[in-house]
Amino acid sequence: MAEMWLNMGPQHPMTHGLWNLRVKIDGETIIQAEPIIGYLHRGWEKLAENRMYPQIIPMADRLCYGSSMSWSHLYCSTVENMLELEVPERAKYIRTIVLEAQRIGSHLMWLAALGTDLGSYTIFLYCVRERELFLDLMQNLCGARLTYNYTRIGGVRNDVPANFERDFTRVLKVFEKRLAIVEALCDESAIFRMRMEDVGKLTAEQAKNLGVTGPNLRGSGVEYDIRKDDPYEAYSDIDFDVCYETGCDAFARYRVRVDEMYESCKIIRQAIKKIPQGPYRVKPPRTAPKGKAGWAHVEDPRGEGFMYVIGNGDDHPYRLKVRSPVFVSVSAAPAYLVGYKIADVPAIMGSIDMCLGETDR
Amino acid sequence: MSDKKDGKEKRPRAIMLRPMVVTMKETIRTTVNTPNTVRYPWERLIIADGYRGRPGLVMDKCIGCGICEKICPTTCIELVEVELEGKGKVKRPQVNLGRCMMCGYCAEYCPKNAMLVTPEYELATYSRQDLIYDPFRLQYEDRPGCEVDLIEIKPSELRTGAKGHSIKGATAGLRDLPQVEDKKCISCSKCEKVCPADAVTMIEVGKNEKGRPIKRPKFDGEKCVACEQCLDNCPKHAITMKEV
Amino acid sequence: MNGLFEFAYGLSLWLMQVVAWIFNFIGLHDVADWFTSSGVVYFLTNAVAALIVFIVGFLISITFIWEERKILGRLMDRRGTQVGVLGLFQNFADGLKAFVKEIIIPKDVDIWVYNAAPVILIGMSCMMIGLIPLSPDFALANLQTGLLLIFAVFSIAPFAILIGGWASNNKYTVMGGMRAAGQLIAYEVPLLLSVASVVVLTGTFNLGEIVAQQQNIWFFIPLILGFIVFLTSIIAELERIPFDLPEAEAELVEGWMTEYGGMRFGLIMLSEYVRGYAACSVAVILFLGGWNGPSFIWPEIWFILKVFILFAIFIWVRGALVRVTTKQILHIGWKVLMPLALVNLGIAIAIKMLGWL
Repeated sequence: MAEMWLNMGPQHPMTHGLWNLRVKIDGETIIQAEPIIGYLHRGWEKLAENRMYPQIIPMADRLCYGSSMSWSHLYCSTVENMLELEVPERAKYIRTIVLEAQRIGSHLMWLAALGTDLGSYTIFLYCVRERELFLDLMQNLCGARLTYNYTRIGGVRNDVPANFERDFTRVLKVFEKRLAIVEALCDESAIFRMRMEDVGKLTAEQAKNLGVTGPNLRGSGVEYDIRKDDPYEAYSDIDFDVCYETGCDAFARYRVRVDEMYESCKIIRQAIKKIPQGPYRVKPPRTAPKGKAGWAHVEDPRGEGFMYVIGNGDDHPYRLKVRSPVFVSVSAAPAYLVGYKIADVPAIMGSIDMCLGETDR
Repeated sequence: MSDKKDGKEKRPRAIMLRPMVVTMKETIRTTVNTPNTVRYPWERLIIADGYRGRPGLVMDKCIGCGICEKICPTTCIELVEVELEGKGKVKRPQVNLGRCMMCGYCAEYCPKNAMLVTPEYELATYSRQDLIYDPFRLQYEDRPGCEVDLIEIKPSELRTGAKGHSIKGATAGLRDLPQVEDKKCISCSKCEKVCPADAVTMIEVGKNEKGRPIKRPKFDGEKCVACEQCLDNCPKHAITMKEV
Repeated sequence: MNGLFEFAYGLSLWLMQVVAWIFNFIGLHDVADWFTSSGVVYFLTNAVAALIVFIVGFLISITFIWEERKILGRLMDRRGTQVGVLGLFQNFADGLKAFVKEIIIPKDVDIWVYNAAPVILIGMSCMMIGLIPLSPDFALANLQTGLLLIFAVFSIAPFAILIGGWASNNKYTVMGGMRAAGQLIAYEVPLLLSVASVVVLTGTFNLGEIVAQQQNIWFFIPLILGFIVFLTSIIAELERIPFDLPEAEAELVEGWMTEYGGMRFGLIMLSEYVRGYAACSVAVILFLGGWNGPSFIWPEIWFILKVFILFAIFIWVRGALVRVTTKQILHIGWKVLMPLALVNLGIAIAIKMLGWL
């Protein structure tokens, strides 16, 4: 059959977010792929140059709305590194707990989207139901469910509510049982495994050369996790394992993320026991010195996020640069799409976990 | 990590047996107990105490300082002139809810706790003009949980084990205070006129060559709310903020 | 003349007598006599019987939609439809919505073929409603080759899907149509082989006689393999998850039905459930004993109950599994189901020759 270009286009039920994937197919096999992004560009980095430092925090939430706490924390870390401001211990532990809860929420959202891609709405609804538990926890903490605006330059916004420890312990107990159910729905279904195994292979060499990070890299066998290799916040005091698989295919990436959810539960339990008492917020200076720069990198649920800020002498930044992990994963799409069938595209793109907000900024 | 799971490498048991057993168990469980659906609008979800719905205003406490206008990331707050009984024409905030992102900054930075976060989230209207809430429509009754407090410590106190202090109480010496540069001040008294908190008094420090008094502003640390109105309105840009 | 026709005869005779009385009253005695002549009454009897069977079958198919939405809802930890009493009014609301939608036909479609595809589908589906007996008393036609005719009509669907997908002038629908045709034709073979095993066992194509021969034992016990093959093939024929690649929303928007809107889409949706009803009824007749059951319940009610329970199993399968891809569908169809069907046929021949049944 003749070759043709197919637009898995901007208006499509499958693409998580607004982007275009052009594939050149020969019958059913993909011979070339070309992602086109930019439909969601909001000029974030330019907007940030016209705002005061505290005003950028809610904007950073909206960079990736699936894991918003991670990005506002990244921004606050960057500015704190620039101003050489030290954060109180209690704030570090609270931030760790909240970041791990956000990681679980983001991975649940990813699993839900993967379920719809593969055709099973049951997985979607079960995962979203579990995610509601965590959204309710966040709502008790800071008053919002999706874009939290919780971290501040110098700490966190407010102290934990009264029943924090009890609520978290209960939720984690229920969640681990329910995650086992969802895992059984996926793992032990022969059809699911047939669809996810041996598709979308990305070898370790390819991944390292393309700059892919996060669970996509760990699914290819490379044991690299910023929480272990360059600890920030309270991660150096907590004992946990780095999850990695050697399969290199979509199923390995799926397993890495599910294992990460279990590890996050472990981390939260340890952190809750170890929270010190004390203050949780430090007063930051109003202005940053001219020409001073700072950077920070964190383990976002989707990979390595990185920000770089340069001060301007007054209370606006001169330049704020964002490196998004999904931008790299999407650009690497041709590497793991070529050679597979069109019917495999949802499974492969679903296993990469894309969030267009941070790609396009 | 396949070796770290103590041999629990999951194998599919039959073509589709296990998922079907799992879903059947869940179905029975959710039919015996009620399903997870909330029948909106006849039932509603329970909201937390500090839920960030639309901003609300307590008219009695507001002094018209304009901090909420400055701190709003989306520039949705504007101070407009309204007529209040007993106070005459004063400026009060007006919020454009079409732009508001419910971040809660107005409530967090308001020095008198006059701006609140309210649990109202059903805000649909029929036109965009309706979404602009003037100060009277913005009012909301203060309830516990609606005020947002700002408790911080100074960086120098990080190691001393100090507890945080609220910057909204009348704690002098813990808030940023304006200071005036002597050489630039022209004694126009504009800062005294625009200050919403009556924290500026003009003090005579001598007479100039024409016989007119030279006045310099004195800032009262107890009353000043660091709203920077004096800073914005000084014609010679003589005022800067001195940080704590 | 079975019970249905007697009832229809009585009704049409009464109706014609009322009309004749009116005409006699006016004074046109010849016209009145023509109305009560045996030819007219006979024609009206057939029409009324067909109408009754059609309405009953139609209502059962619509109730299938309700059953699917409710049970699927509980599988996913949510309530199903809520409109009306227990959610039963939702189907009529959906039908009304399909009626009043704007009709958008893309440019450059082949208009005759585009319109013909849903017409063929719904026409064939309604023809199948007429061929299925609910009990010896409630049968519109008792043909000697009833089973063969049902499957012949059932198999026209791939043709209609293919031309529907092609006529929509759209890359996606062409691909969807070809995939659908490939899948449906591939699964006809195990389907018909498992049906053949039942025919071998009973020696007749007549649906009434097949049920009559299941008085002692329902056929799904000796022919358990055939039952499983039949069910799997039917799920593939009805394009349900896990075999719904032609409709795969994730890749091809809606598959071959993308460009159909308004009432055309309503008819296509309806025809899917009517075919589901026909397929489940045939499964119940062939394997689950038809209307045989305890005597305190009417045989029609017993039949309908069995059909609903069988459809509930289909819904359960839909809720639990993910979609399979083209390569795996064809693999399952040709390499797994066909050998099983052949083995089943062998078992049926063996049982018949040994004279156990």
